[in-house]
Amino acid sequence: MAKKSITIALAGNPNSGKTTIFNELTGMRQHVGNYPGVTVEKRSGELVHNNYNIEIIDLPGIYSLTAFSEEEIVSRNYILENSPDVVINIIDSSNLERNLYLTVQLLELGVPMVLDFNMVDVARKKGMKIDESLLSELLGMPIVETVGPKGTGINKLLDAAIEVVQKKDKKRIEISYGDEIENELRKIMLILSRDFDPKGKIENRWLAVKLLERDSEVEKWLKGADENKFQKLKETVSNSIKHVNNIMRDTTEVLIADSRYGFIKGALHEAHEEADIDNTDITEKIDAILTNRFLGLPIFALIIWLMFQFVFTLGRYPMGWIETGFGKLSILLNGVISNELLRSLAVDGIIGGVGGVIIFTPNIALLFFAIAILEDSGYMARAAFVMDRIMHKVGLHGKSFIPLIIGFGCTVPAYMGSRILENKKDRLITMHINTFCSCGARLPVYILLAGTFFPAIAGNIIFSIYIIGIATAIIMAKVLRATRFKGEMEPFVMELPSYRIPTMKGIFIHTWERVWMYVKKAGTIILAISILMWIMFTFPIIGESEYSQDYTLQMNELGQSYESGSFTEESYLSKVSIIEGKMEAEKLEFAAAGRAGKFIEPVFRPLGFDWRMVVASISGIAAKEVIVSSFSTLFSLGGADETSESLQKKIRANYHPLVGYNFMLFTLLYFPCLASMAVFRREAGTKEMLFQMAYTMLLAWAVGFIVYQIGRLFI
Amino acid sequence: MFERSKKLKKVIEHNRTATLADAIPETKYRILKINGGHKLNSRLYAMGLMPGEEFMVHNSSGGGPMIVAVKGSRFALGRGMTGKIIIEEV
Repeated sequence: MAKKSITIALAGNPNSGKTTIFNELTGMRQHVGNYPGVTVEKRSGELVHNNYNIEIIDLPGIYSLTAFSEEEIVSRNYILENSPDVVINIIDSSNLERNLYLTVQLLELGVPMVLDFNMVDVARKKGMKIDESLLSELLGMPIVETVGPKGTGINKLLDAAIEVVQKKDKKRIEISYGDEIENELRKIMLILSRDFDPKGKIENRWLAVKLLERDSEVEKWLKGADENKFQKLKETVSNSIKHVNNIMRDTTEVLIADSRYGFIKGALHEAHEEADIDNTDITEKIDAILTNRFLGLPIFALIIWLMFQFVFTLGRYPMGWIETGFGKLSILLNGVISNELLRSLAVDGIIGGVGGVIIFTPNIALLFFAIAILEDSGYMARAAFVMDRIMHKVGLHGKSFIPLIIGFGCTVPAYMGSRILENKKDRLITMHINTFCSCGARLPVYILLAGTFFPAIAGNIIFSIYIIGIATAIIMAKVLRATRFKGEMEPFVMELPSYRIPTMKGIFIHTWERVWMYVKKAGTIILAISILMWIMFTFPIIGESEYSQDYTLQMNELGQSYESGSFTEESYLSKVSIIEGKMEAEKLEFAAAGRAGKFIEPVFRPLGFDWRMVVASISGIAAKEVIVSSFSTLFSLGGADETSESLQKKIRANYHPLVGYNFMLFTLLYFPCLASMAVFRREAGTKEMLFQMAYTMLLAWAVGFIVYQIGRLFI
Repeated sequence: MFERSKKLKKVIEHNRTATLADAIPETKYRILKINGGHKLNSRLYAMGLMPGEEFMVHNSSGGGPMIVAVKGSRFALGRGMTGKIIIEEV
């Protein structure tokens, strides 16, 4: 017999344990994508149960089906447009009344449903008693008990869902909103059925309720269906709202919500016995310390510091192994590939580019491991609470602090970490300023230039760069909030979930997902761009006759004098490397990157930069630490690092300290590396990525211009 | 106690209704009204913050966000929020 295919959607409040149930159902067979046009994550997975191919859609965690947030709209639209065969509504059994509010709204949508009373063990321990068969009858849907972290009840849940699909009975429980509102609903429904075609499976009663709730999305739909008729409808709705307001002395929203809670209370009154109020709640005790007015901040700082140590100190070891691995691979390829160009493409282009991205994988993995623990244990909500007062002054959300602090280590995980911000504007502002938290890869550039120009006060100079970065972040947060992401800040209302011990399964799935997403990126777009960069730095290849000097002749002469014993092997090798360095520099000058640098140079002249600095900055797009090695190539000193004295001498000879400082500022401000831009695009879309690149570039230029032009007056 | 009398004095002096921002820990209050927009109100109702609901404040950080327990859940409410929730002592 051929298998049947059905779709099940999971809906539930945040912190209802929905993700745990989803993980139990699908294991590692999960896909993460985005709903079209929004940054809300779409999770789905497949499984087979009793001859059914089941697709599971994990809708975002929501409290209701209003049009308050993207998450709510996405969930609602998914149910309305895709009409899943059944919706499993996951309920935190310890908090029935509040959780059932969403259930009632799903019920009004008219979808077939199964209720999952999750974490029922905790509720029982607290003393809750429940008559499930009665409640099930009162609500008109089957109820299954589960304990998410232990996987108990999962099969029963699937059985119940399949049964609902097979039955297809249309027994519907309807909530009564009281005479006054019911009257108005009837009037509105009459107009709806007369003037508007029923929109797919959406019921007029639901639409009418939403109109009384002044739901902006539903208004938009109906307006789109027929603008003239909508105006007439809108008039009726406005009158209804006013009428109800006058008689009942309360807004329709309150009355409707009241009726829903009334219905829930009525059902619970008969079938449920509330636990004795638990005064010794462990969550309350922990919160008394972690959110304490005086202790909250220091504890938060300590936890963040530990996380930082965990991510970057522990990450150093696997990073070292990866580096060694790629090094060995390069040596291997050097031996295997005889064609010089192909070898350079493989070693300098692909391994240099992709390897430079892969190397951050341990950081990403550890970071998301740490974040998953903080989130799943319930601490993240407290961190946001503790930081909110400070971040609020800057126009940011309490949670923004976490990606920002991570940004000082590496911008890539920082962008990915911005996901903890639910609100889109908050998230985008945080991402757009994150680059000013100077990442670790920029430090070698500062060390080189500060050490070169200000050896006595290098530490202070570098510190000043970091401070300027933080100041820029604060200023830009305010500017962005006032311009591009205008609008009142989302009021800070957040549930503080009960503390829980995270499940290993959940943490590993979460971590793996992020790591895989990142590695995939490295294998695709970053590979392509690395090759492109390599081409720019390689072609066109300089011809033998186009060198300014006859290096081949010099090499030959050198070889002859060495053979005749004029100097030692050591001095011979150093002379060879000088010539090779010069050739390297000319090659680069001749290649597209060098030409581009010279072409663009006039734009950066007002900042005091020459073409070499331009080329170094371009190469910094690949990864900021590359700027140092580019400098050494450009000054024809192969293989120098940031502490190389000969490189420092060359730089000192070519630039004024003001220009050196200006270049540090520029490196700080212009958009971070390729890997992070690829992640930015993935997280926020192409448009936002282009905006990020454009505005940081303009800002970097403007700051550089001002600093150089003003500074010039004093030198 | 000092904090309490200071807050209450302010409320009495200005002859205004008390908001959540005036609430102090260890006391039971009732929500009378929420002065948010209709979108925000609907959201808060869905979270269980409804007129008529009784609650306790668990932490007042002196003008910062507050932790409030309603219907068996704990919520953090930001400063902008707390001034919009009109309350009375039970």
